[in-house]
Amino acid sequence: MTTSTEHVDVMSERAARSEVIADVARAASIIGAYWPLTSFVAVNPLDGLTERSFVDAAELARRWYPAASHLSIDAYRAEHAADAITDADLDAAIADHLPEIDQQQPLDLGGVQVPVHRLVRHDLLHGPSRPARPSTDHNPTADQLDDIITTWCAAYVDEAHVPWSMPERDAGFFASWKATAVTDRRLAKVVGRDQRARLRDLPDDAASALFVAFKELGVADLERENALRRLLLRTPGWAAFAKWCDDWAPADRPGPRLRLVDLAAARAVLELLSPDRCSLVAPQHLDDELFDERIDALAAAFGPPASGAERSRLVDVVTALHPARRSAVWLAAHEGNFRDRILAKLQHTAAPDRSERAAAQIICCIDVRSEGLRRHLEGLGNYETYGFAGFFGVPVRWRALGATHAQARCPVLVSPRHEIAEVARDGDPADYLTGCSTTAGMHDAFHAAKGGLGSPFALAESAGWFTGPVAAARTLAPPRSSKDNATPSFTSSKGSSRWARRRTPPPTMPVIDHDAGKDLHAGLSLDERTLFGEAILRTIGLSDLAPIVVLCGHGSVTVNNPHASSLDCGACGGAPGGASARIAAAILNDVAVRRGLVERGIELPADTWFVAAEHDTTSDEVSMFDVDLIPEGLRPGVVRLAADLAVAGERNANDRSRHLPGAADRVRDRGHDWAQVRPEWGLAGNAAFVIGPRSITAGHDLSGRAFLHSYDASTDVDGVALETIMTAPLVVGQWISAQYYFSTVDNTVFGAGDKMLHNPVGGIGVVVGESGDLAVGLPMQSVMLGERRAHDPLRLLALVQAPLDRIESIIVRNPGLRGLVDGEWIHVVARATEHDAWTTRRPDGTWVPWQPADTTATTTAPDQISLEIR
Amino acid sequence: MTNWTNLTPMAKIEVVVDGDDVPAIRDLFLDAGATGYTALSGVSGFGHHGHHQGRLLFNDRASLSMLITVVPVEKAEPLISGIRRLLDDRHGVLFVSETNVSRPDYFV
Repeated sequence: MTTSTEHVDVMSERAARSEVIADVARAASIIGAYWPLTSFVAVNPLDGLTERSFVDAAELARRWYPAASHLSIDAYRAEHAADAITDADLDAAIADHLPEIDQQQPLDLGGVQVPVHRLVRHDLLHGPSRPARPSTDHNPTADQLDDIITTWCAAYVDEAHVPWSMPERDAGFFASWKATAVTDRRLAKVVGRDQRARLRDLPDDAASALFVAFKELGVADLERENALRRLLLRTPGWAAFAKWCDDWAPADRPGPRLRLVDLAAARAVLELLSPDRCSLVAPQHLDDELFDERIDALAAAFGPPASGAERSRLVDVVTALHPARRSAVWLAAHEGNFRDRILAKLQHTAAPDRSERAAAQIICCIDVRSEGLRRHLEGLGNYETYGFAGFFGVPVRWRALGATHAQARCPVLVSPRHEIAEVARDGDPADYLTGCSTTAGMHDAFHAAKGGLGSPFALAESAGWFTGPVAAARTLAPPRSSKDNATPSFTSSKGSSRWARRRTPPPTMPVIDHDAGKDLHAGLSLDERTLFGEAILRTIGLSDLAPIVVLCGHGSVTVNNPHASSLDCGACGGAPGGASARIAAAILNDVAVRRGLVERGIELPADTWFVAAEHDTTSDEVSMFDVDLIPEGLRPGVVRLAADLAVAGERNANDRSRHLPGAADRVRDRGHDWAQVRPEWGLAGNAAFVIGPRSITAGHDLSGRAFLHSYDASTDVDGVALETIMTAPLVVGQWISAQYYFSTVDNTVFGAGDKMLHNPVGGIGVVVGESGDLAVGLPMQSVMLGERRAHDPLRLLALVQAPLDRIESIIVRNPGLRGLVDGEWIHVVARATEHDAWTTRRPDGTWVPWQPADTTATTTAPDQISLEIR
Repeated sequence: MTNWTNLTPMAKIEVVVDGDDVPAIRDLFLDAGATGYTALSGVSGFGHHGHHQGRLLFNDRASLSMLITVVPVEKAEPLISGIRRLLDDRHGVLFVSETNVSRPDYFV
């Protein structure tokens, strides 16, 4: 029987335990989740900090990670030297960030009256500067403990490539690690055998062990959150993956789940066992703020202050321009330059002639890589193009023919509630599935042998005679893309022999109708299908439909590329978009849906047919799906369209070849080259997000730097469509923008480092070298060309054509969006109609007319928004 | 007057939080020994931080969610401690009330 005292102890311990779990969540709030490579999703690595302003978040990142939050001052100066930032841009940014200096009297330096803004500009351009990433001291013991914990994290999640499984995996990482660590020799070397033996006395439960460890370490309740943050950020990559497991992983995801509380507990216990408090101690930042040096430099350039009072004023000027603000001014100047150039470019719109019904309308993903294809296609005939998030508004899980698992095909912000299966349209797909199964079995066996402990030696002996030459051939002469085969075949292919049937996929279809399936969540009801169909058409304001409407998703075919899914469609959860296009096309071709749409006020022309397609962004080929279902009368038009898409793809590839290293004529084949570390540039260069009709951007070469989302304010009187765009596609665009930004400014901390050194871990990520922290973000080769940058790290610029009060009310009533806009993670410029001037939204919610900083630059070189690699 | 004699007293805990905080609340519920919970996403309303938009078409995270669980009274106190700690510096409200259930075995 328990006494009342014991009861109180138990209750307070339970309460403390619960608080520890809450503290772990609070500590991890500054860490952005990291998605596994199988469904790589571009995320803002500082996503947890978006409730704060970008400036505050940047400083926290510098302090906690520690990481660079901006380019180095030298890199900005190089942009200035290359005219990507002008003096006028710099002056405008100074005026914006230091408005008080306009009121200040000039300083008397060397007997000359020097205006304060001149001093500030001189300091920005020439003053001494600290490194972009803060330097901190290193504790060798903490580094050794990092190595130990990362090794065990990799062993825990990597089911396929470790020779044995960790014990007690089902009990979670902490229990599993503890069961193993009691015999870990590396641990004994660092902490000693006696200390290691203390592990046996600790609870198996992570939260309880964390509570005990902190109690013994003397960490007070109020210090716990910071202590946990410090421990988790010793290995930010694994912490980011654990954050994904806790916050985002589907409940039915197979495989071990690394939880934040487990990771934190293991790390706290290591701290408890270690001879000194090595990981809990905040690293010392070693960089000098260089205030004295900067003051001396100004005095040297302009002359010494005339008096003590003048020197004090000079100190005030330099102090006000502290290092964080210096970086902020440079970034604002860089962004201002891009904003002014693109707005100047888009001031002159040439509304396309719409007197004649379009031969075809092509709805592409908003992805920046669609822009070039759309532009070239529009120049080839009577085509209209539109932009819409590549899942085409149908958030579902897709189960491909023969697949054992369904995969989400929608932005990660949406939890799909329905599953769509791909089935053979007629006949039995057994032969094909047997063929797939055999091939998959051979593939699995080969890769299991490759990843085993001793088997690679035997594999090299037995299969090296074949695989070696194949690898060499795929590097020296990668297979060419099939770009010459642009004509769609309108007959469904069915192999006649069993061998052919095994290799040829049978004609398939997505089962969109809920009533046709057997599962509760399979397919969509007629109401749901009609709603999704209506959402597609209304969100982009599509009317006057052409006879052929193509829904064109995108994907990227690459080989030997762990980050392959980073090149696929973000709106489809890091998967190719063809399946989503097929589902949406099937919905809009559904006679029952069309009847339902009439009741909702949308009447589709009887002769309109929706065709699904997929743009391979590496080869710039466009493949159409289910073409044998296209009505006879439309087929000649589809043939012409396919030929024009082939030409548009070729022209787009030519454009891309100018920015990619290597032979221009092989640009479309890079995805098949096993040795290619840069099959394409992906979304490098992204900087703007245009929400409005195509007339804003038609005819302008935006160099693949803009997401283009179609929107017609005149058909969206209640603002529902705009709210949908601004709270979902725009937010996803910001994630992508932030990932490219941070992977560029600090590829070591926020990027994945050098691809040449990558080792995949458990299908979830890579480590650089043989061990270490999980490398999050984009590989260096995705944003850099050697030492030169291939991406301008700018915050996303949203250009919206809609009534300003509508935009403002949407921002105000959506706190997440408001945080992004008020906190300057996104800049918004807008105009109500194409006849209005552009207006800039300031962080305080006011709107001011756009004024270019440098009218000369925007009028003499308005076309210069293409990204120069430097 | 309602007859409560055949019902068992329990504690009902309701939390309204940002969509991003739902996983942390869920983990606290489960760690405290809750055998289940109900989650309502896309909750709209007006409160300390102004208007909150309800369900959005393509973003399940941006709006508020309400999570409800019922636990035996002795499990409630530690759970409340954890939730209060979590909500210390973020949006969200917590309601705790007494309730009565007809199937106590569902909740222990």
